[in-house]
Amino acid sequence: MQNMTRSSRASGTDWASPLGRESAQIMQLLRRTTFGYTPAQLDSALSAGYSRTVDRLIETRPQEPPALAGASAPGGRFAVPQLQQWWVDHMLTTSTPFAERMTLFWHGHFTSDYRKVADNTFMYWQNLTWRRMGLTNLRSMLMQVTTDPAMLRYLDLATSTGQSPNENYSRELMELFTMGAGNYSEDDVRQSAKALAGWQLPPPDSIATVTVDQAKMVTRKLPVYSTQRSGVLNPRRAYKGAVTYLGHTGTLDTQGVIDRILAQPATAAFIASRVAEHFVTSQPESSYITKLADAFRRSRYDMKTLMRALLTSPEFTADASYRALLKSPAEFMVHGARALETNGLGKLIASAGSGMGQSLFDPPDVGGWPNNAAWISSNTVVERVNYVTLALSQVKGSLPSAADAARTHLDGVLSAQTANLLNQAADERTRWFITLASPEFQLK
Amino acid sequence: MNKEIGINQLKRRDFLKAGLVFGAGAAGLAAGYAAVPDAFARAVYAAKQNGMANDNMLVMIQLAGGNDGLRTLVPLTDPTLHDLRPKLAAPMVSQALPLNKDYGLNHNLAGIKGLWDKGKVAIVQGVGYPNPTFSHFESIRIWETGDPTRRQVDGWLGRTLAKAYDSNGHPLTGCACGATDVPGALRDLQATMTVIQNQKTFGFTGGSEVEAAVGALYKGTPGIYGALFDTAIATANDTIATLRTSSAGYEPMADYTDKVQLVYSSKNQLAAALQLAAELIVTGTGVKLLHVTLGGFDTHYTELNRHDDLMRYLDSAVSSFYKDLAAHGKADKVLIATWSEFGRRPKENASGGTDHGAAAPLLLIGDPVKSGLYGAEPSLTNLDATGNMKYAVDFRSVYQEILGGHLGADSNEILGGSYDRIPFLAAPVAV
Repeated sequence: MQNMTRSSRASGTDWASPLGRESAQIMQLLRRTTFGYTPAQLDSALSAGYSRTVDRLIETRPQEPPALAGASAPGGRFAVPQLQQWWVDHMLTTSTPFAERMTLFWHGHFTSDYRKVADNTFMYWQNLTWRRMGLTNLRSMLMQVTTDPAMLRYLDLATSTGQSPNENYSRELMELFTMGAGNYSEDDVRQSAKALAGWQLPPPDSIATVTVDQAKMVTRKLPVYSTQRSGVLNPRRAYKGAVTYLGHTGTLDTQGVIDRILAQPATAAFIASRVAEHFVTSQPESSYITKLADAFRRSRYDMKTLMRALLTSPEFTADASYRALLKSPAEFMVHGARALETNGLGKLIASAGSGMGQSLFDPPDVGGWPNNAAWISSNTVVERVNYVTLALSQVKGSLPSAADAARTHLDGVLSAQTANLLNQAADERTRWFITLASPEFQLK
Repeated sequence: MNKEIGINQLKRRDFLKAGLVFGAGAAGLAAGYAAVPDAFARAVYAAKQNGMANDNMLVMIQLAGGNDGLRTLVPLTDPTLHDLRPKLAAPMVSQALPLNKDYGLNHNLAGIKGLWDKGKVAIVQGVGYPNPTFSHFESIRIWETGDPTRRQVDGWLGRTLAKAYDSNGHPLTGCACGATDVPGALRDLQATMTVIQNQKTFGFTGGSEVEAAVGALYKGTPGIYGALFDTAIATANDTIATLRTSSAGYEPMADYTDKVQLVYSSKNQLAAALQLAAELIVTGTGVKLLHVTLGGFDTHYTELNRHDDLMRYLDSAVSSFYKDLAAHGKADKVLIATWSEFGRRPKENASGGTDHGAAAPLLLIGDPVKSGLYGAEPSLTNLDATGNMKYAVDFRSVYQEILGGHLGADSNEILGGSYDRIPFLAAPVAV
């Protein structure tokens, strides 16, 4: 954060932070923990106050999305855009948007992509899982992600055996999901690959014969599941012997591997850094991470404790945090739709993300999506502006008044250019265009 | 893992706000280029006065995920390969396209084999670096920055842009084709480069009115991302102006197709990305350093079909690209090079795939190369403690030859040292 302060001062043209006011703190809180707000939703948070809004965000039980009808298709063979729009529609309408923000966070953290998973029902289940578990306990989440059918496919644990282990999941469990590179050895990767082996996809309830190519009369036998399931351990494929893993020798099952990982101080610090980079600042100071990690570990890895510590920390509302984060494409687009008070842009939002670098259920790689500055390129800025143009053309009926938009959505803190162009704008549509395409609106 | 650009470096970019980019923005670009009408004079024009002055270009193809070197350049006579890979070895050896008695190309690299026969392919074997990491992200960063000590944050091509070219106001000097974000190799906060996912749709919906409004909106933007935003918008506007002219002057002279059968679909449209690269090259936009990506090489699982499909895709896209460049008389200027974060484990796993490995071969393709095998064949019997092949050639030796010998840049300055020479160029530029 020191670096940011310095570079901002160096430019000499920074926005003046309004975060001394509670109302501005609440608007920043909502920008970072929800997918935006209508004026009515903002008013309700303002009258509740910062601390009660934090309580409400964290303690309200996540609203489940409506079941996706196509998701029971044999073999998960239904169109990805259907799945993408189903989620976006829920982002647009949910009464518990923090649960969706956490679902998006975990989708990027414990990530999987539909291409390799090759069963969109599994992708759908994984999304339901992170909504239900996103604010629970890291220990149970790690057991869940290890046996999640999409993950079993995505990182190949479903085909790993004790006799001939596949290292893919073992490595990423430590590098990307829990500890971070540098906190384990290559030998640990090999040892836990053995200890984790033996999981397989859940057995289906039935098998359907489906014609996949009408012209050539090609049929395939595809699995059918009546309910959401987790992977199952096949003891015959598991490793029987002892391993030496993270300094401990003995026989170790999957829960044992996870508990060894949770015994490492690096794990709490790594998860704390990930949430801090996502919700607070692109470059958290190590003392801040230590403070969050200590609270997280003391709570035995309770996510509510971690998120409450983060949202109520002085760092979260410090002047230096003002506009220190960039909205991801999904956040930016759904925020825009909420500002325009429309729920009807789900299809556009589901498809427009790819040019901005974020296609839901299709992360760029096993590291998930980047944060902040990495969202900016010549391609992505053009696509962000194009979304605003298309969204304004697709809103049915008349646009809501833009008279208050700069205050409601940009805190009334504007660059000279944004202020000038808003003043010059001849009509409502142009005022909304400037507001939503402005640099201020890209930030949170 | 942190995939951030170093924000603390943004202040280095403040000079852009002083008006360098905006002064020489769309208007400056048009004026400057109009004064230098010859297409290739533009490329020279983009080179720094005190730097080099040739019109050579580079296309780096990233094979993301860790390409299996043993299935790319196949050892034909080593019995150990069959011991290590009981499932994978036999079909790849029997079908390989022999280059000599010991090595053959993957059977799906028939187009590249054709270029080999014409003396246009150099292969450097056993490329890697000391103390290899098996993390995708760490190893990608090492290859992108050219720094195994992991201190450098700027990309090797980004540093080349910053040190050897005047990219300000010439945003197409460096370009990532078929991507949405800046690849790490091109990243340098002192350099300007552009990113174009699809040239046909690149531009503002609503046309010049929107373009002008956005240009006015993103000027002197405050905050830590202000310079990045302003540069991205200015670069986009310059790029739109350039593409408007270049698309009219380009007719592809080869078939590019991304309709390929893959075991699972690709995120990257490699052929379309290379066609965009060809358009930028052929129409003399001043482009020097291009980067494209093909993902899907992380073949832990059912590698046989997946890797074969990727090889076929790579082969068809590269063959079309070379054919197109040659038909336009530009093949002599363009060096194509592949890179990947690592090779794969010589021993196969239970999933019919291979885990993360180390040393692997690199392909260098085009008229500028001196055909042949370089480096040293990696031993399958003398593996390191992780069961991986030991490297024989530091990857920076390859970068050095590209930078000094092909682009005529000061490789010592860019790489911060000098490395053993690998003489894979037919007529290296004297630096």
